[in-house]
This record gives sequence, structure tokens and C-alpha cells, in this order.
Amino acid sequence: MMTFTFFATSYLGIAGPGLDLKSSFVDSLQSFGLSTEMARLLWLPLPMLLVLTAAMVGVLVTVWLERKISAAAQQRIGPEFAGALGVLQPMADGLKLLVKEDVIPARADGLLFSLGPVLVLVPVILSWLIVPFGQTLLISNVGVGIFLWISLSSIQPIGLLMSGYASNNKYSLLGGLRAAAQSISYEIPLALSVLAVVMMSNSLSTVEIVNLQNDAGLLSWNVWRQPVGFVIFWICVLAECERLPFDLPEAEEELVAGYQTEYAGMKFALFYLGSYINLVLSALLVSVLYLGGWGFPIPVEWLASWLSQPIDAPLIQLVTGSVGIVMTVLKAYLLVFLAILLRWTTPRVRIDQLLDLGWKFLLPISLVNLLVTAALKLLFPLAFGG
Amino acid sequence: MSAFLKQVLGYTSDAIDAGKYLLKGLSVTFDHMRRRPITVQYPYEKLIPSERYRGRIHYEFDKCIACEVCVRVCPINLPVVDWVMNKETKKKELRNYSIDFGVCIFCGNCVEYCPTNCLSMTEEYELSAFDRHSLNFDNVALGRLPTSVTTDPAVQPLRELAYLPVGKIDPHGVASDQPRAGHLPSDLLNGLQKEAPLEKKSDVELSDGENLKG
Amino acid sequence: MTIATSTELICFLVLSTVIVLGSLGVVLLENIVYSAFMLGGVFMAVAGLYLLLNASFVAAAQVLVYVGAVNVLIIFAIMLVNKREELKPIKGLRLRRIVSGAVCIGLLVLLVRVAIITPWPLPGPIAIGEEATARIGEHLFTDYLLPFELASVLLLMAMIGAIVLARRDVYDSELLAGDDMKEGLIEQTPTPLLVDKSSP
Ligand code: SF4
Ligand code: SF4
Repeated sequence: MMTFTFFATSYLGIAGPGLDLKSSFVDSLQSFGLSTEMARLLWLPLPMLLVLTAAMVGVLVTVWLERKISAAAQQRIGPEFAGALGVLQPMADGLKLLVKEDVIPARADGLLFSLGPVLVLVPVILSWLIVPFGQTLLISNVGVGIFLWISLSSIQPIGLLMSGYASNNKYSLLGGLRAAAQSISYEIPLALSVLAVVMMSNSLSTVEIVNLQNDAGLLSWNVWRQPVGFVIFWICVLAECERLPFDLPEAEEELVAGYQTEYAGMKFALFYLGSYINLVLSALLVSVLYLGGWGFPIPVEWLASWLSQPIDAPLIQLVTGSVGIVMTVLKAYLLVFLAILLRWTTPRVRIDQLLDLGWKFLLPISLVNLLVTAALKLLFPLAFGG
Repeated sequence: MSAFLKQVLGYTSDAIDAGKYLLKGLSVTFDHMRRRPITVQYPYEKLIPSERYRGRIHYEFDKCIACEVCVRVCPINLPVVDWVMNKETKKKELRNYSIDFGVCIFCGNCVEYCPTNCLSMTEEYELSAFDRHSLNFDNVALGRLPTSVTTDPAVQPLRELAYLPVGKIDPHGVASDQPRAGHLPSDLLNGLQKEAPLEKKSDVELSDGENLKG
Repeated sequence: MTIATSTELICFLVLSTVIVLGSLGVVLLENIVYSAFMLGGVFMAVAGLYLLLNASFVAAAQVLVYVGAVNVLIIFAIMLVNKREELKPIKGLRLRRIVSGAVCIGLLVLLVRVAIITPWPLPGPIAIGEEATARIGEHLFTDYLLPFELASVLLLMAMIGAIVLARRDVYDSELLAGDDMKEGLIEQTPTPLLVDKSSP
């Protein structure tokens, strides 16, 4: 037991409130005789690598889940032979895409054609910076927090338009235009419903937003205070991810595959990765904004005091940290499950219905939601974050 | 003002209705998760084709009299009967016979009308090829017998839905001696015989004939 | 020079090069689509400069507004009307180019001169960093309230104008003729597709 706690303190760096990996890493490097700056420089790529790995693993798991759950909803078996229960199937798919020939159509615009998928993928991965898995378990607690995600996700349409245009194919162009129109229109209600949450928590930072929701466990989650905002946010997120009720940009029956039509091999894989990373990211953000993030339905502090343990004992901190990660991921994957279920339940909307829903329904409602939240905040400053 | 309020109320109730229907749909989808798949995993497991399955045609070269009836009854005049008149014997001499299964619609007309019964339909359905010309079977290929699903050691034979015992939907794990649902004509006839033992004997023979596969 | 400052310098140089070359590209490139995408790159680089100045909120707003809205709109418009027709040769193109180039260079010289003769307080005020968001909000709702409200009114006017333009059918026939505008234009009862057989 002693050795274990020693390990925990020296390698996970449990110091003060919560885990602080960075300072402990820097400290341990300094103890090897490196300068502080060098140690910081060495630390820099680690979180990014971690984010990339987490995103990739998240995507692999999601792809597998999507295929298995889709199969279950249609009474099929789904992938079965690649690894136990087909868990290696996404890996095999990725490998296949990796070694496939990279085709650039003859009359396409080569430069823009290659740049498009990158512009779609990079903002999504960058947005992972702000997803907190625990009090200090996030890559950077930037002050602009959730706003960073909103602004980064507004870069995506440029990549979509670019790839749609560069493919020199009418289906691609139409798909790109649709995708851009869709993500522009749904960005606004999305931002407005985020704004309502931000208004309640008096901060843009995701950590603050989660902290506000963890006073009383399950009961203090934002979803009770913002039910309308929650629904709006979820719909908008589905539209931004081009998930099924809103997958017009790649509607097979009309547009072949939308902006992805001409893509093959690794460039197609970038789109594929982008869409799934975006799905996982959105689910994580829904859980952060509305479902209490890393919070356990019963606050860990209560449990600790019930077990009469000091809250900042290293062991308790370690348990809290891991429970936080598990809770965040669990909530996110429940939402992914809901998205997959929705995929097999709802038919695709038409483009005019899509814009109707966005501009004539979600936008006014999210504005009203914002106003009502402001009024409630003035009326009941205690419950709505005064 | 009241008109506006009415509109808003209608809008709200519409939205709530839409949500309700969505939830209903979700519950249906969720309910489907409960049902187990009955997938037949094809190359390893195969369904036993029914008795009257119209698969690839089998042809016996020696029985054929080159009468070309099969060509005439075929909706697309498909069989190619390649014969020459032997001047000395004044008889047709059959040299080749072929059917292109890339074109055949497996209607069974040729089998039905062949006067010498040299055509018959087999249970073979695996007719995919890399080259469509390799589906043009000549008399040698037409004379081959397909491997039966039940005798192939690499294949797990499974019964089709209509051949399963009462109440079963999944063919997996059904013992081969469990009787199928309903009665075969032969069973009915046997029952009738017990009731009226004075029936004619020819019916019994017919029932034996029917009992070949069931 | 520490690692931090040298990194900052390198970032600054790279971003500035991108901005200068990118803006030149926006102006000089023949293909209008390339120009539009270049413009997006320039906006991004400017956002990077804001980040270097420790103004992350402004940077995010720059990306959201300029890249996410303005640039996407420009590209959208280009793609919707992209006709790929040959432009007519303009008379005296060379003279025009020389004149506009001279004007641009003159402006640049002016700006550089201003930048050189202004006594910049060095080091400048400390960036407030994270608190900037709150500070911007405070300023917007106290001493900059009037411009803020004016901007909102402007936006509202633009929105109404856009609606009127988009519903040109109303504008053309009814507004000009002085008739009442049909309120329920969108919710009009649809004329049946099949002709009613029962009536003669
Ligand atoms: S099965 Fe029908 S289509 Fe095929 S050869 Fe015989 S008659 Fe012709
Ligand atoms: S009908 Fe029968 S016997 Fe006559 S040619 Fe065809 S296969 Fe031969």
C-alpha cells in the first residue's frame, strides 16, 4: 500500500486539489538535471499525443459500437470474425484505407483537393483541447473554453466547401454547399444554447461549467435547469456532425456521397475520422455542458465524508480522478448510443425542412430560452448561478 | 394578439407531438435490440434448398434426342443444341449442348417439356464467376452433379423457415430428427388410411413417392 | 534569449509572412476562388497574431466571425455564381494597375512612417489574458453602449432588408402596386396538383 501511494504521488503528481500531471512531470525531469524550460518543452508534445491517441481510440470504439448497435437494431450480427466480437474490424478498415491508392481526379484541383480533408479534421482534433476529464485532467484550461470549440467548428465549412469545389464534380459541389449551409445555420442556435449555460455558470471555461453542476450530484446537473437548451443543443450537434436525421450532405440516394464522392484512401479516411471524432467530441461536450461532466451522480465528496476519509488523501484523489474519467466517457458513450439509435429511427429530412427547423424553430426557441434563463437568473440567483 | 398566441400554442403542441412520436420510434428501435439475430453465416452455414428449388440445370447427354423442344419452349430460346444430320443413318447426331446460366431465368420450362426427361433442376445456386462467359455451361459441365449441402463436411446445413418445428424461428440448434411444422401429404394419407382402411392401394404408393425428401 | 521568447519570435515571423504573402495573393491571384481561400488563411493568421498577444477571446471571435461567417459567405457566393466566363479585357489595364499600386505603396509608406515615429511605450501594458472576456463585456455595456446598440440596429436593418430582397415576389408585384402584402404567402393553400374531375 505504501509503495502504491508513493507511486501515485510521484508519477501522477497528486498535489493540492486534484491531479496535476504537468508540474510533476516537469519536477521529475528537473530532478534528472534538466532546465525548467527544457522540461516544459518536453512536456508540450505529450498532451497533444495523448489527445490524438484518445481521439483515435474513441473513434475506433465508436465505429465498432456503431456497427454492432446498428446490427443489433436490425437483428444482424455485425462484425464478428476480426478479433473477439469483431473489435478489430475498425482497425482493419483503417488499415485498408491506409494502403489504398490515393486517387486525385484528373480535372480536380490537386492542392485544394488535398487541403480540404485536413481543414475538416484539424479543427475537430484541436477542439479536444477543452474537454475536461477531471478537475485538472484537461489539456488546457483556456479562458475562452467552450467558445474555442464554437469558433473552431466554424472553420469546418471552409474545408467542406474546398473539397466540394476542388473535386470538380457536381455532386461534390452540391454536397459541400449543403454541408456548409447546414453547419452555418445550426451554429447559431447551438451557440445561443451554449450561451445560456455560460450565463448560468458565469464562465466560458469548461471546468467551471462542470464545477457548477457538481454541488448536489445528479440533481444539480444542467439538464434540469436547461431542458430546452439541452434538446436544442443535441439537435444542433447532430446536425453539425451530419448524423442521420440531418445527413443531407452525404445523402446517398441524391448525391452519391456528397463532398466525399471523389475521395479515396487516406483522404477519405480523414473525412471519416473527422466525422467520428466530431461525434465523440460532441457527445463529450453535451455531457460536460448538461450532464455534469466528470461528476458522479452522487458527489464524491459526500461519499468520502460518509466513509470518513479526508477528501485530499492521495488514494481518494486517485479514485476520484479515475471515476471522473470513467463517468465522462460513460456519459459520452451513452449519448453516442442515443445518436446511433436515432440514426435507425428517424428518416432523413429534406433540405427545406432542415433550414426550416434551424431558422424558424430552433433559433426563436433558443432566443426565448436565453431570455428566460436571464430572467430566472435574476429571479432565483441561487438556483441559476447568481 | 390572441391569434398570435393561438399560433404559438399550436406550434408548441406540434413540437410536443413530434417529440412524442420520436420517442415512440426510438422505443421501437430499442425494442429491436432485444430480438436475437437468426443470421445464417453463409460460407460456413447454408440453408437446405427446398425440394422444388429451381437451381442450375442438370443435363444428360445420352438421353437427349436433339428434338429442340427445350429451345422452343424457352422464353429466350436459350439452350444451344448443336446437331448434324447423319445422312447414312438418317438420324440426328448430337455434338454439343449448352445453356448460358448468365442468361437463363430458371423458369423451368425446358425441364417441364423435355420429352426424354434428360433435363432436371438441381439445388445448386452458387453461380458467381469472375467472367460471365464461364457461366456458359457445356454438356460436360451440365452433366456434373452439385455437392449437396447436407453431405458437404465443410458446411453446417440449416433448415429453412418452413421446415422448422412449430414455434421455432432460429434454425440454429434444431435437431435433425425434430419433425417440421404441419403435415406432409404422406402423413395425411396415412391418417386417412387408418380411418378408412378400405381405400385403394395406389394412393399408398403415391405417398411413398412424395415422402422422398420431406 | 530564452526558449519562450525565441518561439514567440519565430511564430510572429511566420504569421506575419503568411499574412503579407496571403494578402498579396488575395489581391493578385487570377482565380477568384483561390483569392477567397487565401483570405481565409489571412484571417486565421491574424487570429494567430491575437493569440500571440495573449488575447485569446479576440482570436476566437476573429475566427468565428471572419473565418466562420464572412469568409464562408464569400466562398458560398462565389460558388453559387461561379460561371467561369472570360472577363472582358479592360481598357488601360496597365495604367490602372500602376496607379492603384502607387496608391497602395503610398499608404504603406504612410503607415510605416506612423509606426516608426509613434513613441511606443515599451514594454507595453501587461496583457490581462483570461480576464479579457469579462472586461470586453463590461466595456460593451457601459462606455461603448451606444455604438453597440447602433450596431445591433444596423444588423436588424440588414436582416429586414435581406428578407425583403429574398421575398422579391412580394416586393415586385404588391409593394410597388400599392396593394396589401399577402401575409400568409408561405402558408397559402396549395393549388391541387390533380384537376378536380367532379367539376365540369
Ligand atoms: S430454365 Fe427457362 S430460361 Fe432457362 S433454359 Fe430452361 S426454359 Fe430457358
Ligand atoms: S427437349 Fe430434351 S431431348 Fe429435346 S433437345 Fe432439349 S434436352 Fe434434348
